[in-house]
Amino acid sequence: MSKETTSSRKGFAPFRWLRRMFFGASKELTVADERYDSPTRLAVKRFFRNPLATGAVIILAGMFLFVFIGSAISPADLTETGSEMLHTNMAPSLSLMKLPEEMKDGVVDISSRGTFTIGVDTDGKVFMWGQYVNISGDPAKDVMNIPEEVKNSKIVHVAAGSDHCVAISEEGVVYAWGENDNGQYGHDGTMIAAARKQPDELMNGGTIDASQVRQLICGNQVTAILMEDGTIYAWGNDGLAATNLSSIIKHGKKESKLEKLVFTNDGLYGIDANGTFVCGKSTKYNLISVTDENGRNVSTDIFEYIGERKVVDIAASGNALALVLDDGEIVVSGIKEPQPQLLEGENAVTVSGGTRHFVLTTDQGRVYAWGQSFRNQCDIPAALTREGAVDTVFASGFQNYAFKDGKFVDCWGLKGYIMGTDDMGRDVFNRIMNGGKMTMTVGAVAVIVSTIIGIIVGCISGYFGGAVDMFLMRLTEIVGAIPFLPFALCLSAIFQSSDIHENTRIVIIMLILGVLSWTGLARMVRGQILAEREKEFVTAARSMGVKERRIAFRHILPNIVSVILVTVTLDFASCMLTESSLSYLGFGVQLPRPTWGNMLNGSRNALVIQSFWWRWVFPALFLSIVVICINIIGDTLRDVLDPKSEVEK
Amino acid sequence: MGYDMGKYILKRFGYMAVVLIVLSFLMFFVYSLIPYDRAVAEAEPFRKGLKVTENAAELYQAKVEELRRELGTDQNVIVRYLGWIGLGPINGKYNGILQGNLGYSYQYDRSAKEVLADPLKNTVFINIFATILGLGITIPLGIFCAVHRGSKRDTAIQVGTIVGYSIPGFIIAIVFIWLFAIILRWFPVSGMKTPGSNYTGLAELKDRLYYMSLPLIVMTFSSLGGMTRYVRASMSEALSLDCIRTARAKGLVEKTVIYSHAFRNALIPIITLVIGWFIGIFSGSIVIENIFSLNGVGRIYILSLNNKDFEVVLLLQMFYVILGLLGNLIVDIAYGLADPRVRVNK
Repeated sequence: MSKETTSSRKGFAPFRWLRRMFFGASKELTVADERYDSPTRLAVKRFFRNPLATGAVIILAGMFLFVFIGSAISPADLTETGSEMLHTNMAPSLSLMKLPEEMKDGVVDISSRGTFTIGVDTDGKVFMWGQYVNISGDPAKDVMNIPEEVKNSKIVHVAAGSDHCVAISEEGVVYAWGENDNGQYGHDGTMIAAARKQPDELMNGGTIDASQVRQLICGNQVTAILMEDGTIYAWGNDGLAATNLSSIIKHGKKESKLEKLVFTNDGLYGIDANGTFVCGKSTKYNLISVTDENGRNVSTDIFEYIGERKVVDIAASGNALALVLDDGEIVVSGIKEPQPQLLEGENAVTVSGGTRHFVLTTDQGRVYAWGQSFRNQCDIPAALTREGAVDTVFASGFQNYAFKDGKFVDCWGLKGYIMGTDDMGRDVFNRIMNGGKMTMTVGAVAVIVSTIIGIIVGCISGYFGGAVDMFLMRLTEIVGAIPFLPFALCLSAIFQSSDIHENTRIVIIMLILGVLSWTGLARMVRGQILAEREKEFVTAARSMGVKERRIAFRHILPNIVSVILVTVTLDFASCMLTESSLSYLGFGVQLPRPTWGNMLNGSRNALVIQSFWWRWVFPALFLSIVVICINIIGDTLRDVLDPKSEVEK
Repeated sequence: MGYDMGKYILKRFGYMAVVLIVLSFLMFFVYSLIPYDRAVAEAEPFRKGLKVTENAAELYQAKVEELRRELGTDQNVIVRYLGWIGLGPINGKYNGILQGNLGYSYQYDRSAKEVLADPLKNTVFINIFATILGLGITIPLGIFCAVHRGSKRDTAIQVGTIVGYSIPGFIIAIVFIWLFAIILRWFPVSGMKTPGSNYTGLAELKDRLYYMSLPLIVMTFSSLGGMTRYVRASMSEALSLDCIRTARAKGLVEKTVIYSHAFRNALIPIITLVIGWFIGIFSGSIVIENIFSLNGVGRIYILSLNNKDFEVVLLLQMFYVILGLLGNLIVDIAYGLADPRVRVNK
């Protein structure tokens, strides 16, 4: 290896001979092993002697692997599960599941709905982790700032909404903080008129008997406190986040006191002392899908299905309910994913709901999870599926924390987004990988198309000459005179308005780019062929009786391959740029399908550029790095393949 | 030379006319493929005004047919093309581009000429400024690189220019908006003038320049990379000429060698570049104008595409084509004039 490098440093053999002739012998004569390298090998050696080009090749190869392997491992989810409206515009972070060390030894409750999580330990200390996208920009409304009074008192109950938190201290003081626009707490919110107001007796230092608080729960922008005697205190944005709130309270007062309450994203549900499912005036979850005796799925009324059986536990995710019946059956409504099959003789003990999934623990100490798992909510660590591994699981939001005898065992779920999320709550990292695949594929196919057309036209024109050459060159000039970007935009708009499948459209975009960008290459190939034709080796071949076609393809073409290679490399970069520009303007690949260009489409306003920097920095960075690398490689190739440039130096 | 040149220019003009005709037909044909019927859109108010009777559908159909006849869209594409150019009659009238009818904007309910007048001024204004700025920076920089070819500073600038021409304009625009408009607050984020302002005279120009400066900077910056490389390449080629060696051997001052002898030789490719670049900047400004919401032809182009205002799009498309062809022509002629050795028409 070392021998090779030392000898390769001396340059191309004939030049060494020339140098020796004019400048006398140098140290190189002492190298006994003088080898002649083929031009290709020499070019490769010279290429990799340039550290910049070597670096560019390594980075580009890394990008290719990252984009193609990454997108194969986690393909883009273009359906509604790919976006998560609770996770819009989240900054890059992996702290969403970072349970504080202090909480690992004794935990009372953990609660979360969206992006941040609140927990309280056995000492009454409150912890918060995760992040909150504070749209108002007002630090007073940042839910992550735990008020001093809360830090200083012993807290027994906590609950987190989508943008506010509520805590009850041992003395029974109700604290609330975070966003209050929709009456999440207090009476100062700008939209308070539409909200159910917080009861006066709980405000301004008012207290309730903390020992009698059965439950403190939060919905998206609503809060409810259920007392042991069945009294319900509730307030917040009931018009949106709990439309059936008053009917539930009425049920509690008039019919039977409630035992447990849960919030979905838009309603409040519960079970009363008779073991009946209480849904108030909401009928959203009244139809459930069950398998009849013939194995078909049929819809049936939930109350009919439950019949005389009693409901012992209820859990809610954002858009589904799970009821545990006294015979151990679990009835789920509003969710498509099948519930897990328990082992023989195993019974569910508790069911708890995250935002998009459910978790249940069994009397044998196992954990099961079902529901949406796009953010790993249901990927239970293998150790927890063993018998007796777990007795309590806090399923909150998109994370799960498993405990055994009050000690933390393990957690699973969404750690966070390494590159943040966009305005639709889509993972930017995932879209970078898949968008890169799209951008590179479009660029590559466009370049292949343009190269094929360019070589064919150039070869024919250069080799045959005459009328054919005349015609093809005029054609080249006409195509070359078409203004590229406007015409591509217009063609793309035409295909956009016609009703065709997105895949077909992408193929058409590739073809448009290819068909419009071959002229430069064709001219160059023609010029090269014209030059090569006149050289001695062609004359020699001809005089030896080699056929014309063989001369064209076996003698001339190999001589111009290097030039073609350079052009193709540089064209690849420019095709990627054009695709990005088209997509950026909204005329290329359409959302929700990602490309590096259309990921930047949303970053045109100052708010996004300033506050949500991760939405443009990452796609811009990746696109720029790839194009820079390709251009460096193309440039170096040109220098390396062109012997003239070496002589000049 | 005079005779040759005149003949050559004539020949180029004739040739350009042929290409223009072919391309204009191609454009027109492409637009005729658009699945959009102006007559149906025009008949929409009529349909809404119709009473629900038995023959309502028939009446509507008849109205659409009538409108199609009026607009001439029931004819085949060649007849319509000739009508559009003004070489053939539509409904018995010659009313095409040759007669001065450049089309009609249904979006703005005005003639396309009026719609484009102001934006065109803005675009030309900003492009001329960007060209001057760009040349002012790139020519000295390129010469510097060529003279110090292979030095560390040259290598650094070379890497910089690769980075410069690899990054698309819209990314440069976003980064510059972030830096200059948001962090430093030197310039406004977008727009044409201070909202609600009624400046006149000098104050108006000042206000306009203030709003144009960020797009100008972005446009200039995004063209620096390619231009510098080009100037450097042509300059270093000129520096390796025999006449330069002779000049140096004569003992001329290096400055004279570079700026008087070499630069004149390097000028020829630079001229072509300047013209080609000035033309290219027009389509490049489509992206920039859209980012900064500048009222230029590029923005009108995108708006018209989105609003299906196709006569304006077609006109602008022809504008870009003619611009491109004219650019080529001027480049060829300039080549011939600047360098007596070049005879493109041989």
